[in-house]
Amino acid sequence: MTSIGTGYDLSVSTYSPDGRVFQVEYAQKAVDNSGTAIGLRVKDGVVLAVEKIKHSRLLVPGSNKRIMTAGRHIGVAAAGWMSDTRHLVKRARDEAHHYHSVYKADIPAKIIAERMGMYVQAYTLYSSVRPFGVSTILACVDTDGPQLYMVEPSGQFTGYRGCAAGKGKQAAKTEIEKLKLEELTVRDAVKEAARIIYAAHDEAKDKLFELELSWICAESGMLHAHVPADVLAEAIQHAERSLDEDDDDDDEMEDEDL
Amino acid sequence: MRTATAVAAPIEAHGHNHWSPYVDNGGTTLAIAGEDYVLVASDTRQSDGYAINSRYEPKAFVLSNNAVLGTSGCVADAKRLCEVLEQRAQLYQHKHDRQISTPALARLLSNTMYNRRMLPYYVFPVLAGLDSEGRGAAYAYDAIGSMERVTNSCFGSAETLIQPFLDNQVARNNQRGADPERLLTRQEALKIAIDAFTSATERDIYTGDYLEIFIIDAAGVHKETRELKHD
Amino acid sequence: MDPVTLELPHTLQRPGHAVAQEPMTRPAGPIVTGTSVVAFKYRDGIIMAADCLASYGSLARFRSENRLFKVNETTLLGAAGDMGDFQYMKHKLEDVMTHEYDMDDGQRLGTKSVYKCLSNIMYGRRTAINPLWNAYVVGGVDGGERVLGYVDLYGTTYTADAVATGFGKQIAIPMLRRRVEGRADEISEEEAVAILDDCMRVLFYRDCRALNKLRRAKVTAQGVEISEPYSLETNWTYAESIVGYGA
Repeated sequence: MTSIGTGYDLSVSTYSPDGRVFQVEYAQKAVDNSGTAIGLRVKDGVVLAVEKIKHSRLLVPGSNKRIMTAGRHIGVAAAGWMSDTRHLVKRARDEAHHYHSVYKADIPAKIIAERMGMYVQAYTLYSSVRPFGVSTILACVDTDGPQLYMVEPSGQFTGYRGCAAGKGKQAAKTEIEKLKLEELTVRDAVKEAARIIYAAHDEAKDKLFELELSWICAESGMLHAHVPADVLAEAIQHAERSLDEDDDDDDEMEDEDL
Repeated sequence: MRTATAVAAPIEAHGHNHWSPYVDNGGTTLAIAGEDYVLVASDTRQSDGYAINSRYEPKAFVLSNNAVLGTSGCVADAKRLCEVLEQRAQLYQHKHDRQISTPALARLLSNTMYNRRMLPYYVFPVLAGLDSEGRGAAYAYDAIGSMERVTNSCFGSAETLIQPFLDNQVARNNQRGADPERLLTRQEALKIAIDAFTSATERDIYTGDYLEIFIIDAAGVHKETRELKHD
Repeated sequence: MDPVTLELPHTLQRPGHAVAQEPMTRPAGPIVTGTSVVAFKYRDGIIMAADCLASYGSLARFRSENRLFKVNETTLLGAAGDMGDFQYMKHKLEDVMTHEYDMDDGQRLGTKSVYKCLSNIMYGRRTAINPLWNAYVVGGVDGGERVLGYVDLYGTTYTADAVATGFGKQIAIPMLRRRVEGRADEISEEEAVAILDDCMRVLFYRDCRALNKLRRAKVTAQGVEISEPYSLETNWTYAESIVGYGA
């Protein structure tokens, strides 16, 4: 951000001399300030997980969901502004609904990813609008099997086997890269996703958070749904245990150093 | 809009070229107003031509301000009209922080119906409740909202059988020695309502099955259900 | 809207009418139609039947049409009248159910709500003088309570122990008045099936737009079950003894 203050960052309709659109990059910053969201595409389904940072203990557990459903078979996990997220999810639902009303078939992943990408991209063109401050991770199982896409504030949409957005995305991506995603089952992936969210969580910055976990697999009837309470509890247990183990390892290493 | 706009006639001769959006589902409603009460009675039969749709499908409805709307005519319209009126009564409650009075609701019903002047609700309602002095108030309407406060009224398939009877027994106009000003007691009104319906049921095929009677007074709405002939 | 006149294909013309004369706008009236739906309450829930025929006028055009539709886990819909309008309605209800799923609020649309939604659509269309040319029967179990309702192209609604559409109203209802009305709680599933099959058999005997290939469905606390098509045993030897109908 060397060019901050040079006047090229005020409008989305003006490039900077070195070919950048600063407003879009700032929107990306809004994403980077958000709790981590990840998606894992495995052999028999897709798993979404979000680190929902809570600003108050008074919030009802399970409220203000950051993983939502669009048209039964599509899951949307978001990192960034929640108000923008809800708008995009509504758009995704409308797209899914419209596709269904025309073709009487569920919208395929790559189509909805493209349409969402095009929609978001349109907000990077005009000085009268503000780009979306949100990255959405789209999960879907269609005729081509499990699918995972991420749509970013620039409008770029990319298919992934595993992806992450939000403040812990670097740590999360490092962890995801270690996984053998083609061999994992959703049951394993749920635990791994929980572990990664817990690992990416920065206790020093944000004390309170809630793990949101959802999946699309045979167990959910190939529909997108939040994982059942027992699966969630088991995943959290797994995540906390592996955190403790890591701490122990660290302690041992420190001992050796001494 | 239908895409098959130009399909002129159905393939079997049903004569749909001028489809009417109205059906008469039969049934009868009456109201009798007294000094400190008002009574609404209606049968519960719903018909479609010679077929009885249901033996128990009430056509008088208690509204949230303790007024009762009795209907007859097309049930689809009647139910919707009742919903709309109830919504507007509740809206009034939310805006004014008090229940709407029956006279005000009566006028609101008139306006609600006149607003559909171009496609009227095919409903002939009677609205009954207490006025601001606590007297029984009954209002009778035509399908486009013309209204009148009355001491008695009957609408529906047995209207021609019951209204003359009410004129004779309730209004007592042009009768030697009778006092047309005198209002009926509850017991008298109840007896006349029951007699009116049992007799009408004998001759009108669209009236019968059950009789629902609502008596509204300062204490609230009292409802009783009686049997009519099930043929 | 300007009236539009199209010349009908010859297959769509009424016998004895060369070409439709008057300019005509809506409503179009039914084209491909299904006949009666019969349903009633029994001890465990609701039982319903409809045959598999979609007629094109007097032509038995489509012989494996499914006129029973599972709206959700607790709600069953049976349709008579225009099959195109029925397909539109199915589509619409699917959208409603998808919308409800997306809300993800732990709430489910009960049978009464589905019935109300359907009724509102029907009433709205008749008020726009553009009716969906159907009569629907909605059956379900809503919070342990059996619900059986009817709605048609006028928006007419009613609930009853026994409900039927079209010709079934004339033929099946009198039978059900005797065998079901007032004793729905006593009827076992076995008896319910027997009663329903009797109704459908008589309807097949008497209704020229009926087919002896039908589906039966039930809704209980366990959910909705729609059967595969089946046939009823019939006996036409009576026809020999009927005098005065040309034989």
